[in-house]
Amino acid sequence: MTVPPDPGAVRRIWLLAACGAAIWLAGVFLAPLLAGRGAGGAARLVYAVYAPVCHQIPARSFRLLGQPLAVCGRCLGIYAGFAAGLILYALARGFRRPPVLPPARLFLLLTLPLAVDGLGGLLRLWRSPIGLRFATGFAWGGLLPWYALAGLADLVRARRERAAARTLEKPGPKK
Amino acid sequence: MQQKLDYFRPALTVGAIAGVLSGLPILSAGNCLCCLWIVGGAIIAVRLLAAQAPGPLASSDGAVVGALTGIAAAVADALISIPLRSFNMDLARRILDKAVEMGGELPAGLDEVFNAGAGALSPGWFLLSLFISAAVFALAGALGGVIGVSLAARKPVPPAAPQPPAVPPPTTPPGPTDAA
Repeated sequence: MTVPPDPGAVRRIWLLAACGAAIWLAGVFLAPLLAGRGAGGAARLVYAVYAPVCHQIPARSFRLLGQPLAVCGRCLGIYAGFAAGLILYALARGFRRPPVLPPARLFLLLTLPLAVDGLGGLLRLWRSPIGLRFATGFAWGGLLPWYALAGLADLVRARRERAAARTLEKPGPKK
Repeated sequence: MQQKLDYFRPALTVGAIAGVLSGLPILSAGNCLCCLWIVGGAIIAVRLLAAQAPGPLASSDGAVVGALTGIAAAVADALISIPLRSFNMDLARRILDKAVEMGGELPAGLDEVFNAGAGALSPGWFLLSLFISAAVFALAGALGGVIGVSLAARKPVPPAAPQPPAVPPPTTPPGPTDAA
């Protein structure tokens, strides 16, 4: 069964994603701030949060207060791109229309620079500057909000449909 | 009635493989490239799910199977990391030492992390790192799952060739009825 679209759902999901992105991005800068001010224990914990997703090699990271950020330049680019993509989504598509998945071709196009740059570095063919790593990550990360919003909006829709189906299945009060 | 999809089988199968790849030394570096093993694993899990689905998958299907793949990968990664912990620490220390030689510098307190890592893993730290990995991998996996849905999107089936019009049943010309 289908339920009528909830126009407020996309806005709420967007706000949730924006808050999550802001907190995640703030943590990247929090780690060196803490480390630079002598709070080594807290800094270690914040660095540890980002460790599963980034190599955290200092030579490949931007610095704040003389300390490397919690993630490398490429990862920072992805997270900053995600945040920028969220803003772009709100401006370009708005909240009235349901989110749609971007075409696969666009995904492959934006993945290519990042993949080539990453693979070249992994195979030691070249050493890209941090700025280039940031730029390729930014382009890729900018597309991700479209996927995140489409997935979350569809989850909400599916949940509402299930709830509506359960309501219909419930027997009415006996007279 | 809509057929219920089995999210667990593809998620557990692919998640276990992705987790092992994420936990093995050197190969784990793949995750440094946009969570390659997790996002790639989620995309493959979606392909497996799509193979058993009667119709096209929704974005929510991809998000759920991707998130489950991420959680399964985090558990497999944590389990495989226990025996390899000291080796991984040693490898990470050598990489960072190399980075320092090349002009970088270690973040404050990282030396203590390596020294602490040389000892036994405390259950509290193990659970905390498992929780963090599971949350991060679930998010990355969910994103990978939705990306997988968009990549695996089936093109709409073109409408079948128009059938020749059926031969109409012979009609009898209206004639005088008995009632008339």
